[in-house]
Amino acid sequence: MSEQPESLRLGEVIETSTVGFVAECDELHCLPPLGSLARVNGPEGDVIYAVVTYGETGSIDPGRRVVRRGSADLRDQAIYQQNPELRHVLRSVFSAAAIAYRRDDRLSYLLPPLPPPLHYSVERVPTTEAREVTDQPRYFPILAQYRGEIPADQLLAAHARHLYELRGHDRDWLERAARELARIFKHDYDRLVPLLEALDPDLA
Amino acid sequence: MTLDVAAIAEELRRLAAETASWEHAGWSALHAAVRDLDETDLRQRLRTAKTSWLLARAIQGYRGVSPCPPQPERYTVVATDGSVLNPDRHSPLRYYVINLGTVVLAYGDAPQARMESRARLYAGEEDLYLSDLSRRVPISGTVLGFKRAVEELRQAAELACSLDPPVVVLQDGTLILWGLESQPEFVVNWALGPFLEALAALRDARVPVAGFISYPGSSDVMNVMRVSVCDYPPRGMPVNCDHCRARIRTEGHRPACDILPDVTDRVLFEQVFKLTPGERSPVYASASTILERYPEADRINFFYLHTGAEVARVEIPTWVSRDRAMLDLLHAAIIDQCSRARGYPLALQEAHELAVIRAEERREVEILVDRMLAEHGVVLRRSAKERSKRGRYV
Repeated sequence: MSEQPESLRLGEVIETSTVGFVAECDELHCLPPLGSLARVNGPEGDVIYAVVTYGETGSIDPGRRVVRRGSADLRDQAIYQQNPELRHVLRSVFSAAAIAYRRDDRLSYLLPPLPPPLHYSVERVPTTEAREVTDQPRYFPILAQYRGEIPADQLLAAHARHLYELRGHDRDWLERAARELARIFKHDYDRLVPLLEALDPDLA
Repeated sequence: MTLDVAAIAEELRRLAAETASWEHAGWSALHAAVRDLDETDLRQRLRTAKTSWLLARAIQGYRGVSPCPPQPERYTVVATDGSVLNPDRHSPLRYYVINLGTVVLAYGDAPQARMESRARLYAGEEDLYLSDLSRRVPISGTVLGFKRAVEELRQAAELACSLDPPVVVLQDGTLILWGLESQPEFVVNWALGPFLEALAALRDARVPVAGFISYPGSSDVMNVMRVSVCDYPPRGMPVNCDHCRARIRTEGHRPACDILPDVTDRVLFEQVFKLTPGERSPVYASASTILERYPEADRINFFYLHTGAEVARVEIPTWVSRDRAMLDLLHAAIIDQCSRARGYPLALQEAHELAVIRAEERREVEILVDRMLAEHGVVLRRSAKERSKRGRYV
């Protein structure tokens, strides 16, 4: 791997379960894109792979509401310049759904046997590794059954588009992804068609 | 619910109406007193007055308003606030905790924020009790409050003195430890010593410090207005409140100052002196007795400031009030801080957020103590009253 471990770290697990985790970003607003791949290196050498399903930025303290800080003359990044305390009282968090795990160098497209431990680092998955993990879209059924903050179809579309870009506009992979979606939704034409349309780079 | 609100609502309504009409009655008298204030005569009266109240001493005159100075291009504000876990008399473990929140906010070319909280547990004999050989005073409640105030100021001073100027230090509440007046001498020395050391360190480093009091209940200037309308001096007698009050009972006397409404300085400066947002009153010296124990340069003066949301009281050491540049820096910095947090200094707001110990955290510590004792075979038996409150039943 050419990338340094420091540059991969996104944040830290603050909620965890067998189906996924919630992580707090190290830097405010530095959220991984919807549908991108994240990983957690577990204590026994297991690596858990997950797809980012949701992101949000808000007050660290749920009892404190975020209020307007800007005006016509003070906006966007300048607000953060003028209010240096904001990066201490706000935080960005994201959720991710587990899709696979690696144990003893063997990749399984199943939910992990154990959830990732709390407070462990969440990292971006380097491109080469992401290509390998996602090469066969056999984990799509897990994403298709996702129940969370956003509709599963939006998650699938975002994931497929993200991977298509990451894989350097790999048409073969996109075709495999489309075929897998067609298999999953063969009895649900109304869901399948908009999904395939969302995936088609010529329609974008 | 056991409080029958309906049972007291009618009386509250009557009380509210009475209070409103009574306050209204004194209003015109107060306006007239302020309008007719003769500062030369007033100074004469104050020189000989014997009152039971605190009287604000004018430094630059009683009247006058200072607008907000221009904002400094850059400044750093240091604020600390503390919160305590009091010793639990139901627990066999004797300890207390002070949680200090510290905020450093730098504005200007390179804005920066540093925010941290630090919890410290005190459990040693010397931490828990004060003694002068004949008496032993437990450090809890009010006495622990003094320790907290000392730790807040000490932490702020240590930090502020190491930063590049211009730096201002803000504290929540008074810098006048008047509560010590009722304490034994050894308690006064214990609390005041390090507090005054921290004030002196700030003075040596030329870092202005201010105690910010939101919604102040003090009446030092209002009391001066009472002296100004007293009818004793025109009759050739010095103002003497004890004498005057004694005559209420013996002669059915009505004190002349009763024409003024019973309001605080906050109301006086808001509604009669009519401070507008950003403006401050003149600086006054406090007549609090405990200040005689402060070095002259660190005796606390104060002014009232319209923060945009309310009239607050700001307390500063004498040396700050004598230095116009320092006073202006503090004035402008506090207004800037208040504009950032809806009328209350942002740095103090954040220091409070870092310091506050919430009910669930208090409970968490209790459970931790219970568990740790249980590991050693000690099962905590709480008092029957405590148990009855925890496990409520019908």
